Amino acid sequence: MTIGLTHYLVLATAVFLTGLSGVLVRRNSLIVLMSIELMLCAGNIVFAAFSRWLGDASGHVFVLMSFAVAAAEAAIGLAILVEIHRLRRSVNLDDLKTLTE
Amino acid sequence: MFETLALNAPSWSDLRHFVPETVLVVTFLLALMADLFARGRRPAGPFALALGGCLVALAAAVSSLPAGPRSILGDLVVVDGLAGFFRVLFPLIGAITILFSWASGEIMGPRREHKGEFYALVALMAFGMCVMASAADLIMLYLSVELVSLTSYVMAGYMRTSLRSTEASLKYVIFGSVSSGVMLYGLSLLFGLTGETTFVEIRAALLAGRADNFALLVAMVFVLAGLGYKIAAVPFHFWCPDVYEGAPTPVTALFSVGPKAAGFALMIRFFYTTLLSPGGGQAAAGAAAPDGVIVGPADWPLLIAILSVVTMTYGNLVALRQTNVKRLLAYSSIAHVGYLLMGFLMLTAAGLEAILFYLLVYAIMNLGAFLFVIALNNRLGGEEISDYAGLSTRAPWVALMMMVFLLSLTGLPPTAGFIGKMYLFAEVINRHWFWLAVVGALNSVVSLFYYMKIAKAMYFTPGERAPLRLEPLHTAVLILLAAPTLALGVYWTPFKNFVDRAVAGFAGLGG
Amino acid sequence: MGEHVLSWMTFAPLVGMVVIAFLPRERPTLTKVVAAAAAAVPLLLAFQVFATFDRSTAEMQFVERGSWIAPFNIEYFMGIDGLSVTMVLLTALLSFLCIIASWRIDKAVKGYFALFLLLETGMMGVFCALDFFLFYVFWEVMLLPMYFLIGIWGGPRKEYAAIKFFLYTLAGSVLMLLAMLAFYFNVRNPDTGAHTFNMLHMMDQANHSPWLQLSHVRHLIWIALFIGFAIKVPIFPFHTWLPDAHVEAPTAVSVILAGVLLKMGTYGILRISYPMLPDAALWFAYPLAILGMINIIYGALCAMAQSDMKKLVAYSSISHMGYVLLGMSAFTTQGINGAVMQMFNHGTITAMLFLCVGVIYDRAHHRDIDGFGGLGLQMPVYTSVFSLALFAALGLPGLSGFISEALVFLGAFPTYRTITIISALGIVLGAAYVLWMLQRVFLGEKNPKYDSLPDISARELATLVPIAAVVVWVGVQPSPVLDLMRVTLNNLIATVGR
Repeated sequence: MTIGLTHYLVLATAVFLTGLSGVLVRRNSLIVLMSIELMLCAGNIVFAAFSRWLGDASGHVFVLMSFAVAAAEAAIGLAILVEIHRLRRSVNLDDLKTLTE
Repeated sequence: MFETLALNAPSWSDLRHFVPETVLVVTFLLALMADLFARGRRPAGPFALALGGCLVALAAAVSSLPAGPRSILGDLVVVDGLAGFFRVLFPLIGAITILFSWASGEIMGPRREHKGEFYALVALMAFGMCVMASAADLIMLYLSVELVSLTSYVMAGYMRTSLRSTEASLKYVIFGSVSSGVMLYGLSLLFGLTGETTFVEIRAALLAGRADNFALLVAMVFVLAGLGYKIAAVPFHFWCPDVYEGAPTPVTALFSVGPKAAGFALMIRFFYTTLLSPGGGQAAAGAAAPDGVIVGPADWPLLIAILSVVTMTYGNLVALRQTNVKRLLAYSSIAHVGYLLMGFLMLTAAGLEAILFYLLVYAIMNLGAFLFVIALNNRLGGEEISDYAGLSTRAPWVALMMMVFLLSLTGLPPTAGFIGKMYLFAEVINRHWFWLAVVGALNSVVSLFYYMKIAKAMYFTPGERAPLRLEPLHTAVLILLAAPTLALGVYWTPFKNFVDRAVAGFAGLGG
Repeated sequence: MGEHVLSWMTFAPLVGMVVIAFLPRERPTLTKVVAAAAAAVPLLLAFQVFATFDRSTAEMQFVERGSWIAPFNIEYFMGIDGLSVTMVLLTALLSFLCIIASWRIDKAVKGYFALFLLLETGMMGVFCALDFFLFYVFWEVMLLPMYFLIGIWGGPRKEYAAIKFFLYTLAGSVLMLLAMLAFYFNVRNPDTGAHTFNMLHMMDQANHSPWLQLSHVRHLIWIALFIGFAIKVPIFPFHTWLPDAHVEAPTAVSVILAGVLLKMGTYGILRISYPMLPDAALWFAYPLAILGMINIIYGALCAMAQSDMKKLVAYSSISHMGYVLLGMSAFTTQGINGAVMQMFNHGTITAMLFLCVGVIYDRAHHRDIDGFGGLGLQMPVYTSVFSLALFAALGLPGLSGFISEALVFLGAFPTYRTITIISALGIVLGAAYVLWMLQRVFLGEKNPKYDSLPDISARELATLVPIAAVVVWVGVQPSPVLDLMRVTLNNLIATVGR
């Protein structure tokens, strides 16, 4: 059996859904940030797969760009998390209740 | 293994058409460096640099309004009427934000060092928003959205030691990243379906019928989710009230107009370019360009109409029971997105004119309302509606100016808000979407109730009587914003012409 | 001034408002004088209009026209005909007298008179505007001052009454806005081919697009407009804001509300709905007549049940506006002349009633009908003036109310027999609540609490006498007022009628 485009797309969908469910279910904000990285990763897989399949390098360029963005996003997210931990001694999303109606 | 890349190679000379953006980037870098040397209570260096940079960018944008579309930087960016309009709007918003942060206790108070970062970030955000307005390629779309988002996260958490500010920031990061993940996935599908990354090529692929309809709809909805989050349309709005309430008020003011307008700019560019076959239809009355024909997923207008109705109704109904003014304005800004989406319905030139006009007006009046909140927060230390009791005797002119903003937000003549709303309704009526117009009109009535709650506190509820004096800078900027809010309600022909020119030069409509 | 009479009448109060905004707060009397001067300009010009108005034509007169917003084809277009001239005169007269009647306001004087003048600008503009957009702007401009005048200077439940008024009227006017836009996109200026807000072009059916000629479209637009106007009149079942607003509003504001604002609803129907959508107007004529009848009977019955004088007068307004509806729904010359005449007469008579209630409220600080008694001996001058107003309200021959009510019934009878007969019961009911109140307040046992009540003062009398003179004069000699409107209204009936 050869590994084709479809396999990559199925893999990407699985990774995307794993990430999304992680965001929705987990309450620890570190895990949530990691799940978000999974979602971004899924997009990258699709881009890379299509890029190879279409023979168009733009998808690869996109992947490289999105790596950089994901790294920046993670850096900022973690920096904020550090501040929150310093203030609250907790990174649990359920503890973030200062701003509710 | 790859075909040769058929790109217009970027060249340095392209920067000639990218002056405002370049100025903003340089401003950001200079302000950041100046901040390293800033001493004293207030960072005068970064402030002056950022303000000056925004004003120079503004002047450059005004003096170089593009005549027709021009594709630059390897087809990643297109400079046309639409971009020209927004690169006037964003430096203006940036300059106003910088001006009123100068005297704001929230920005100048909590930190001991690197206060000047704030001004650098405003310039960076203005740059990101300008790029959003001129992105012509999926890559640029993603990068510009992320640039604005990342800057926003930092700004929302600017008060590092505040529980509210950091909480707002984290919520923003999480919601923002999730929707950017969804959008990235949508973009990747779109790339796969069409094999293209520039908007124009995507349209060509869609016109050729190369894409499967259902997959295309999924991809488009995913992209819409990412952009819908940027403009805070229901159901992608969850971050909005918390972030608006928690972030420092000058930042909230900027968020409520800047990224929102940028999100609309990008939505306009993306959907008008990819879904519209220009020149296929007949010219609408008084419109600058003929209407196009919508290609791609069916029932696009109905989808947007529902999004619009849900957004405005939800925003207005929830705003009814708010007592915190920042939160109230957050929900009201959601409602305004709903009104704006009405213009987006048919992807017409007249609808676009209405959107642009309303964005301009909305920026002015909403900044005004937020500035009022900032100015009073500096004096009263709070932003509950009840804090404003008796304000009409304590500071009659300030209360009067807030009244002008509130009326304009409600959409009552003779204010700019009425004119903006009228253009939106006019387009909906002209396209015979009467149920939508009626829902929108009744929503305005609902909004009257909560805006008048603020008026009631200021004018009807007795409170302290001691006169209240605001920072002179705040008063000055308030006047600067209240005057056009009123004047544009009486005479708006020049603004209308400005907007019409932008639409006429918009590449997506064949300008 | 000669060329721009209507602009001066409309914007002189606005100028006064701006001047007042910059007057020192410590000089309340100066503020009042400026306000009176600003309101005197339209009054003086009203005399000029009355003297020079050409009664032999249905054309627009005193026309002023200029481009305003070219990209949207909006014009500054003012002019009056026989329909609006009476309303313009009424507005000028009542506004000035109300400023005099407000002389004793001592809370936030500047704000009060500034808002009052803004209100006058709005009212005047509505009656003069011939561009739909301009009309709409003036229509909406009135809401805000009214909201504040009730909300700041009103009675105990003022905040509730103010926001209720605001929400109701805005709900109506946004529908009007949509109807206006629908008109704009479906009417073309015959000279230029562009869309237009010009009311005169909208009235010419030849300029309507094919879509606008579909009867269901016309009916829907008529309904949208009607709801906007009905809330203002107010027509049952949209009337519930009125008693609240009247009871809470200060005296002068009640006068303006009942005397001028209510007329805008019926004026709007006659100026916009009738000539622009005549077939729809005919189609809805019968329901309109029924609503008129309901207004007459329901208003009168409610008035009978009140113990608060102001509420009684408020409900009597609903009843009296019913006559206007009945008259105009009949599509006969007598009916429509009676209707417009009733608009004018009700404006003067209700103004008197509210001013009189205000006089007693200023002295006794309550308006409970059963709390008085025998005031006739205590305040003889006041009693005679109030009685005159009350008799005019019940339609005593020789006073103005009689003329218009008689015309309405004469005009409506051939068209709607049953409805007219039932409506005539309103006269009986009107007599009942008026006489009953008269008896309880002025006759009978004197309440010893009020032994020292002073009689009506010269200033108060000065506000009442001019209106009383008009009421008597029109009652004895109606032709000066009828002549103003007759040609225009007959022309309207000829073009709209069956």
